[in-house]
Amino acid sequence: MYIERAGEFFYFQYDFVAYALGASVLVGVVCGLVGTFLVLRGFSLLGDATGHATLPGVAGAFLITGYQHPAALLVGALVSGAAGALTVGIFSRGPRVRPDAAIGIVLSVFFGVGIVLLAAIQDMESGRQAGLDQFLFGNAAAITPDQFWGLVAVGVLLCAAIAVFYRPLAMMTFDEGYAKSIGINTTALEIGLLAALSVAVVISIQAVGVILVAAMLIIPPSAGRFLSGKLLGVVIWSVTIGGLSGALGAFVSYVFEGVATGPAMVLVATFFFGLALFFGPHGGVAWQWIRRPDRARNSGGGGRP
Amino acid sequence: MIAIIDWLVGPWQWGDWMWRGMLTVHLVAIGCAVLGVFLYLRRMSLLADALAHVALPGIVAAFLISGSLDAPIMLAGAVAVGLFSAASIEALSSRPNIRSDAAIGIVFTSLFAAGVILLSTVVRDAHIDTHCLLFGDVLGISDRALWLVVVVVPTVLLLVALFYRWLAVSSFDPRFAAAIGVPVAAINYGLMTAVTVTAVAGFEAVGAILVIALIIVPAATAHLLADRLVSMIAWSVGHTVASCWIGMYLAIGLNTSAAGAIVTVGGVLYLAAFLFAPRHGRLIRLLSARQAAAGGESKK
Repeated sequence: MYIERAGEFFYFQYDFVAYALGASVLVGVVCGLVGTFLVLRGFSLLGDATGHATLPGVAGAFLITGYQHPAALLVGALVSGAAGALTVGIFSRGPRVRPDAAIGIVLSVFFGVGIVLLAAIQDMESGRQAGLDQFLFGNAAAITPDQFWGLVAVGVLLCAAIAVFYRPLAMMTFDEGYAKSIGINTTALEIGLLAALSVAVVISIQAVGVILVAAMLIIPPSAGRFLSGKLLGVVIWSVTIGGLSGALGAFVSYVFEGVATGPAMVLVATFFFGLALFFGPHGGVAWQWIRRPDRARNSGGGGRP
Repeated sequence: MIAIIDWLVGPWQWGDWMWRGMLTVHLVAIGCAVLGVFLYLRRMSLLADALAHVALPGIVAAFLISGSLDAPIMLAGAVAVGLFSAASIEALSSRPNIRSDAAIGIVFTSLFAAGVILLSTVVRDAHIDTHCLLFGDVLGISDRALWLVVVVVPTVLLLVALFYRWLAVSSFDPRFAAAIGVPVAAINYGLMTAVTVTAVAGFEAVGAILVIALIIVPAATAHLLADRLVSMIAWSVGHTVASCWIGMYLAIGLNTSAAGAIVTVGGVLYLAAFLFAPRHGRLIRLLSARQAAAGGESKK
């Protein structure tokens, strides 16, 4: 039965399979790209906060428009996701607020507000069949052709924007002080990066869901760091692994009934991360053992940069 | 006036679900608020995020191995997976090219994804309600969950009281603590175990994700208001009790999710503290800075 379903998948017997596959790959690529800058800047979990923070926007847009209008839901998600990311930025400035706590506060409180709104929707008559659950764990198969092409357009724009600002972004990532000194407006660039993050999250939530979108932002770039020592290399590896995880995740989710797309994608990405962690030429565990057998026993004790 | 009293007292007379819900949510929230202070001081707030998420695969794995959903087995599974993920986060972040926040993100999302997949395939027939695990149901607490909370939370609080000095010293200055002979690593893993156990006990009441709010938000609020550890714990508990009462009545009045309402109120209270805390509130600081500037000018 599984082989049969796998055959169906590869022959694209059904149109929605092609769209689901395309959307999943898009998610992997866009998240891999944006995630690289976040991970390198030490903001990995900001993606987690932004992902959770989209929930009140989705639910709020549903309540306002009264019916499930996909574009409205995505705009709502964008607004509240960006609000969440900005709130983390505002909270973590100044004394007496720890940045990690700020992320946790935004993540959980925004999600709480989202749950309150979802409960209100469940009481509405049209709410029961709204299928808002699919925003929690993602359902790539539910993406319609119109939505798909919309997502592709936004994704391409986002990638183009990052390509244009690649050099200043790279400089800011490695040495913010130097970037400032040569006249780069780092505040604007930072806000741009937050905006890119929000857009990437919103593109992704239909396929991976709000809870697991963080994984697609963190895991592929982290794998990329073991595979290349250069920023461009990390970006390319991260985008490749993200895209592959998207494709394989969509495949697994189609073949095995009941497996949601999001978790499947994440597990595939984790598998690639494991490979990179062991066999990656830049700090991979296996190479370390081969090169320095005497240090194999205390290889965990290496200091952080 | 009578209407208000009626509104406040009314829910208690509608059945025993009100006191059951209130008791559970208070115990869970107070346990979380106390543990949250220590996590906050150790800059480990986000570990709570990870531990609450990985408890889900822990419970599922325990069910797969033992075939039962008894409370001790559930707790053991969650603690085992929780400690495993804490250890793997530590191992990952000791590699030179992985930061600790990325390590947290990698470990907990992977395990959570595995848990969700197992839930939706292998153990689909078990009586594990994903929706309940994720969002909780304060007003529909089962006897089992009530007992679990009543046993677990007081035990955890008692242990915190017993080991208070060690916890405090190692939270502020782990090196000094190690130097005077405090078993820092044991305390660390003990604290993580306590967080996991409390989070699991709270799942049925408030759900896996909102329990994170109960751990992080009260402590963060208390840090804006208090300068000493004891008063920080007091503020943290006060914050959480206030959010429980206001949130519960709001949820009843608006007929919405009680856990969501409690967390939302907690967030609003945090925002109030962030803006208006006597010494560290942002608005207060802004005003006093302006006053100081004005004072400086008039002296000229």
